[in-house]
Amino acid sequence: MQSPMNVKTSFLGSSGIQPSGNGRRSDRDDGGTDPHTLPNEITTGTTTVGAVGTDGVVLAADRRASLGGKFVTNQSARKIEPVADRTAVAFSGSVSDAQSFVRHLRAELRGYELRHGDAASVETAATVAGDLVRRGPYRILDLVLAGVDDGPAVYQIGGGGGVMDTAYAASGSGMQLAYGSLEGGYEPDLPLADLRRVVAIAVQSATERDTASGDGMTIATITADSLDLEQFGSVADGVASTGDGAGNVGSNDPNAIEESDEEVR
Amino acid sequence: MDSSAPQQAYDRGNTIFSPDGRLYQVEYAREAVERGSPSVGVVTDDGVVLAARKRVRSPLLEADTIEKIHEVDDHLAIASAGHAADARQLVDVARRVAQHHRVRYGEPVGVESLATHLADHVQEHTQTGGSRPFGAALLVGGVDPGRPGEGVGQPRLFEVDPSGTPYGWRAVSIGNGTDGIRRFFEDRLEGDLPGETQRGIATALEALATTAESDLEPESLDVWTIDSDAATVERLSADEIAAVLAELES
Repeated sequence: MQSPMNVKTSFLGSSGIQPSGNGRRSDRDDGGTDPHTLPNEITTGTTTVGAVGTDGVVLAADRRASLGGKFVTNQSARKIEPVADRTAVAFSGSVSDAQSFVRHLRAELRGYELRHGDAASVETAATVAGDLVRRGPYRILDLVLAGVDDGPAVYQIGGGGGVMDTAYAASGSGMQLAYGSLEGGYEPDLPLADLRRVVAIAVQSATERDTASGDGMTIATITADSLDLEQFGSVADGVASTGDGAGNVGSNDPNAIEESDEEVR
Repeated sequence: MDSSAPQQAYDRGNTIFSPDGRLYQVEYAREAVERGSPSVGVVTDDGVVLAARKRVRSPLLEADTIEKIHEVDDHLAIASAGHAADARQLVDVARRVAQHHRVRYGEPVGVESLATHLADHVQEHTQTGGSRPFGAALLVGGVDPGRPGEGVGQPRLFEVDPSGTPYGWRAVSIGNGTDGIRRFFEDRLEGDLPGETQRGIATALEALATTAESDLEPESLDVWTIDSDAATVERLSADEIAAVLAELES
């Protein structure tokens, strides 16, 4: 039996199925590069959620990074990164893949802006992201990409690079729990304040039972005018920041580390 | 055989020296730059100003489509003179280098690094068989971000000429009328910086006016500023340029 310490930190959980007899670890983050030799029944760790509202989009994620979902290596990981002025991506999968992916996607989108004079649309950003996942060296990466151009949009980008336009999406090992909550709470055309609450509660639901998710929450709120990224030291603080669901919403929470209109770089 | 025959041989290939050590193709490339409309750069107390005159050769031409100054990254812009098509290729190289630096090192590229990288690229085309030198000169303006805790960034301005040599300047001109503009800068600035950004813009436009045959018009000017504090690149609107011109006239 290998020690969990032999593997690199990842946002992967072990809530899925263990390696099927070939002795490889479930997180696959052991330097193996041939996907055909790797177990294919893996679920990624983390819980990320994204949803479209009337005048913007909201992304939320937990902050736990773990070794195969067995040992928590970091309790303040950030799994949502801005990649353009009004576009951000939430990721689950390997930490190393995600970090490298984000740097490349930013460079691609900035290059687009410089060559074309205008920022890339969210759809273009999703297309480029899907292409990078499909053709790039990333082994395990599940994304929810969201942003606002002419209107708000959320895209789900699977580990194979498939890009799907959607009103709401969840990914990571906690996604089934998050979806359960979203199916009950999500409605089309929710005002942004209400949407933040629905999304935060979906992440909270997942962290209650998924051992590979927890430790805090990151919430990104994107409108045509701003991209706000807030980090919370506990999941409850994240939910509390979304108010009581009666329009009484704000980021007055002293525990929130707000990075308003954060620079992309 | 006429007497110009030996010299002709030396300007055939750009990789061939003349007996007195000159590279004629590179000198001809400099000539191409000298024929281009001028671009100027001025370092100020709080950034860099780049300004250029555009040759709008017909009222039917959309002046916005004449490219003289190009955004290269958040903190970098490049002004050009000479063959616009050649300059575009260099700008593309610059943009790639800037983004590649961010991907590889997670930080914005330094202005001097970028300028020397471009200079190396230009130089390669003066020494490689089958290629010709770039018929364009560049002014690379930007801000070297201060290290954390060291405060604001440092404004820098570099010239890259067709030979592939980078030079750092406090105020400089490329393109048509460069000698006159340089004398203007030398007299006006006497080695000092012109002060804050607004003074820098006025100085840059005055410099362009010294060689202009007619009065400067906002439509035929491109003016960009790079701010040290914010490390951002901004293009001035026609109205803003008109306001500076009006002030210069009064």
